[in-house]
Amino acid sequence: MADIRPFCMPKWGIEMTEGTIAEWMVKEGDAFTRGQTLCLIETAKITNEVDAEYDAVVRRMLVGAGGEAEPVGTLLAVFAEPAATDAEIDAFIAAFRPADTQVAAKAGDSAPPPAAAAPAPPPAPAAAPKKIVTNRAISPEALKLAEAEGVDIEDIEGSGPGGRITYQDVHQAMRPAAPPALRGTAPLDAEVARIFASPLARRIAARHGIDLSALTGTGARGRISKGDVLALVPQPSAAPIGFGTPHFVPGENRPQIVPFDKIRKIVARRLTEAKQQIPHFYLRVSAQADALVALRKTANVILGCKASINDYIVKATAVALVRHPDVNVQVHGEEIHRFPHADVAIAVASPKGLVTPIVRQADRMRIDQIAAATRALIDKAAAGRLSYDEMDGGTFSVSNLGMFGIEQFDAIINPPQGAILAVGGINRVPVETDDGGIAFESRIGLTLSVDHRAIDGAAGAQFLATLKSLIEDPEALFA
Amino acid sequence: MAKMMYREAVVSTIAEEMERDERVVMLGEDIVGGMGTAGGPEAIGGIWSTSTGLFGKFGKNRVIDTPISESAIIGAAAGLALAGKRPIAELMFADFIGVSLDQIWNQIAKFRYMFGGKTKCPAVIRMAYGAGYNAAAQHSQSVHQILTGFPGLKVVMPSTPADVKGLLRTAIRDDDPVIFLEHKALYGMSGEVPDGDFTIPFGHARLSRAGEDVTIVSSGLLLGFCEKVADKLAAEGIGCDVIDLRTTSPLDEEAIIDSVEVTGRLVVVDEAPPRCGLAGDICAMVAEKAFASLKAPPLAITPPHTPIPFARELESAYLPSTDKIEAAVRKVLGWR
Amino acid sequence: MQLSREALLRAYRQMKVIREFEERLHVEIQTGEIAGFTHLYSGQEAVAVGVCEHLSVDDKIVSTHRGHGHCLAKGCDVNGMMKEIWGSRDGLCKGKGGSMHIADVELGMLGANGIVGAGAPIAVGAALSAKIDGNGKIAIAFSGDGACNQGTTFEAMNMAVVTEAPCIFIFENNHYSEHTGVDYAVGTAKDIASRAEAFGMPVWRADGTDFFAVYETMREVLEYARTGKGPAAVEFDTERFFGHFEGDPQRYRGKGELDRIREERNCLIKFRASVTSAKLLTDADLDAIDKDVLDSIDAAVEAARAADRPTPQDVLADVYISY
Repeated sequence: MADIRPFCMPKWGIEMTEGTIAEWMVKEGDAFTRGQTLCLIETAKITNEVDAEYDAVVRRMLVGAGGEAEPVGTLLAVFAEPAATDAEIDAFIAAFRPADTQVAAKAGDSAPPPAAAAPAPPPAPAAAPKKIVTNRAISPEALKLAEAEGVDIEDIEGSGPGGRITYQDVHQAMRPAAPPALRGTAPLDAEVARIFASPLARRIAARHGIDLSALTGTGARGRISKGDVLALVPQPSAAPIGFGTPHFVPGENRPQIVPFDKIRKIVARRLTEAKQQIPHFYLRVSAQADALVALRKTANVILGCKASINDYIVKATAVALVRHPDVNVQVHGEEIHRFPHADVAIAVASPKGLVTPIVRQADRMRIDQIAAATRALIDKAAAGRLSYDEMDGGTFSVSNLGMFGIEQFDAIINPPQGAILAVGGINRVPVETDDGGIAFESRIGLTLSVDHRAIDGAAGAQFLATLKSLIEDPEALFA
Repeated sequence: MAKMMYREAVVSTIAEEMERDERVVMLGEDIVGGMGTAGGPEAIGGIWSTSTGLFGKFGKNRVIDTPISESAIIGAAAGLALAGKRPIAELMFADFIGVSLDQIWNQIAKFRYMFGGKTKCPAVIRMAYGAGYNAAAQHSQSVHQILTGFPGLKVVMPSTPADVKGLLRTAIRDDDPVIFLEHKALYGMSGEVPDGDFTIPFGHARLSRAGEDVTIVSSGLLLGFCEKVADKLAAEGIGCDVIDLRTTSPLDEEAIIDSVEVTGRLVVVDEAPPRCGLAGDICAMVAEKAFASLKAPPLAITPPHTPIPFARELESAYLPSTDKIEAAVRKVLGWR
Repeated sequence: MQLSREALLRAYRQMKVIREFEERLHVEIQTGEIAGFTHLYSGQEAVAVGVCEHLSVDDKIVSTHRGHGHCLAKGCDVNGMMKEIWGSRDGLCKGKGGSMHIADVELGMLGANGIVGAGAPIAVGAALSAKIDGNGKIAIAFSGDGACNQGTTFEAMNMAVVTEAPCIFIFENNHYSEHTGVDYAVGTAKDIASRAEAFGMPVWRADGTDFFAVYETMREVLEYARTGKGPAAVEFDTERFFGHFEGDPQRYRGKGELDRIREERNCLIKFRASVTSAKLLTDADLDAIDKDVLDSIDAAVEAARAADRPTPQDVLADVYISY
């Protein structure tokens, strides 16, 4: 019997649960020798080469490069001697059971067809929620939730009648165990307990050292209530001694209650979701702005436009985005949508609140066209006449609070975009000159907020570096 | 302060009140015992020794032994009350409300209301309830939830001798009809009872243990189980408010809500069956009025929905045990 | 013993008030204005009046669902009762009780009762109260040939004997318990009184449609009961002229039965015949009462119609004295 060996997804460290084949260095039919690199495997933490530990031939390749992440232990390929027959290989594959139980369910599936070793395929389609097939009694909502969140229901003890699994049971199973923050016992004076006061009144009295036995109750059935006790809580003393100024008597301070209007509701919901669901990280840089300020003056005259600093930043951003397409993305579930052009949204304060109209394909616009576009959008925003199309989508946002003197700030990403640039004001700062002296420079603060699910630190940093160099050397914007 | 047993608190309070107000009379089966026998009166003084000596003190006109006729006993209490007396009628076992329910439910509970508020029916109906003596299905039941469900009655369930005294005084002096439920497994319980003419108002629960992590609500025999659990958990740094309801009608809603607003977690421990029950009533009330404070669903710990079984181990399995109560407290603490 | 003229007039008036009250209700109920169930006492007036004319305010009575007659005989206010039946908040029970639960405890009327047989134990309690006070007062449980089968009635009778309570059990045998005849429902058929006797108390029997028979019998009974010898029972044979409840089609009646009993077993006709033939009162005396009573019933109905209605807040009132 020829030596047939499985090549499975390795487990690097106790935390690794799955990996993706980033690249195959061999293909079906190739012979390889010990020490030869077989493939690159990427995990959540690292990308690593896998080298052959023995000589053999790649008889079957079951998982292609660039596909879905596979659980640790998944059969990726079958290596064997050339003498092994195809029938033996087939039998081996059919009989294979991965050691790791996480893969057990998948092993029950029919063996996947061998993937062709193709170069970098397009991004894999997002996985549909795995259907759960079970005989257990389970409510429809519970089943939906379990499928959507990939919860294993076999371990759940159903709390419904006859052990039926409820939505709440699944919800509980999803959540991490969190030991409660305990506050422990409280003092209980038997004498005080005998006095007919409500528990809340007792707590307030204990906190302020008030003697309950001195009180008459006005609560139900003559009980001492919270109000009776609060009446005795000493108020802070009024005027400081010796100042001779009259007491300040506060008047009414009742709020005007303004319910969220439609736009604010939407903004509130979307930004809350963004803050909760997007793992933001922040990259900060300051760019030298003297060249930009000077260029703007002359370019505006030459082009006859009134481009603002922000317009230049929009242009620079758009150019940088096109050079760094992995930042010019939208994130949808587990899909990254890479756009060829930059639709840059600008944050505009309107009478109805914050809006983010989009300058479409800003990379293809000249600065005066950008200036006109932003002007038009700002005017529409002020008049409350922005259309939904003008605000839908975008691949990136620029938010500028420099006009208020803000030096730097962190903006919240507008989903489905992958990042947002927060621009501060231009400040004069002293810098050391080459000859050890001091000169003054204009600097502008930039903070890039990045969605770490889709864009890595390096990508964001590289983009920001490009942006900074475009700002510092703005002639390149007209190239 | 004096140390006395639960049953002693009952009989001493009745004696004091009969002394204080000559309108107070007592009637029931064998509350004297021995009537019409060779042994003569006072053969027993109540099968729970809760009327010992009363016949000797107050005579046959005020301490009336009756035949076994629960409807007639309770009905007579109704008539006595309407005629201006303050009767204390005794049902030997709470389970016997079955054979007297019309007089409790359709008559005593409703007189004041039906007659336009123009009369009062100051009757006290005492009865021994609860499991723990293997008295099986027809002599071990809890009836507070049935009777609380009848508008017009006040329902009282003391869990200590001190509370017996304070609450029974209030019951006898109350002009409304009162059902006074004595847990038969507590009759031998000893406790400190304050001196003097103190009363405990209805609708005022007792805070038996204080803590800020879990609220436990109970009454009667199970209250003691909850105290044991709370003390055990205190050693682990878990603080429990243990609330002794004392009366289910009126119910001290305020105490329960106030406590849950601090702890966010509720466990109700009750001896009656689960369906249409007090525990569910309290959990629902808390879910409605303190939903925003809850960190976990409110839990009702009751016996199963079965009649009460006879064998020792079966009755133990039937009643909520300290283990079950502790598990429930840990469950709400561990809620995610 | 001879009744005075005043007493005779009074007795007749009481019976007439009851009769016209009930007859008028029978008419009014058919308009649909009156809510709930009503059970009319027409035909049995001689019992209520023959009994209650002996009683003081401190003697207590407990009635049945067919309680208007006992209420009126015990002295309850006609207008207050009419308003109560109309459901007004100025009714005797503020509109909270209705026909089946009319009461005036201060007059010793411890309520009509919607539960058959419930009254007997309550009356025993009231009698015990009198015994404890030693004031020679008594309590009366009115029952029928229906209630005489209820366990509560038996328990009460035994309890009264054992405790020597001055309680009088009055059984008004009107031959029907709801839609079932006494010949079927009562095992001892024409003899309810002997049941009470078997429990150990003396019993009397009389014609309940003859006021004088009732009155005389009760004089003896009360003489016995007020002297601390214990309970007693009376069975009065009588008729009800209407159905069990208003709306009862009365298919159980024999042919011509209703006409016959209104003719032959009518206490008002019998009373008139008695007193006029003995020259104690004249027809004119009685006619004047007839007219006066009819006027007062008219007025009561008008007043009831116009009286204040209760408000939703009244639902919550008077469940407890303090809560």
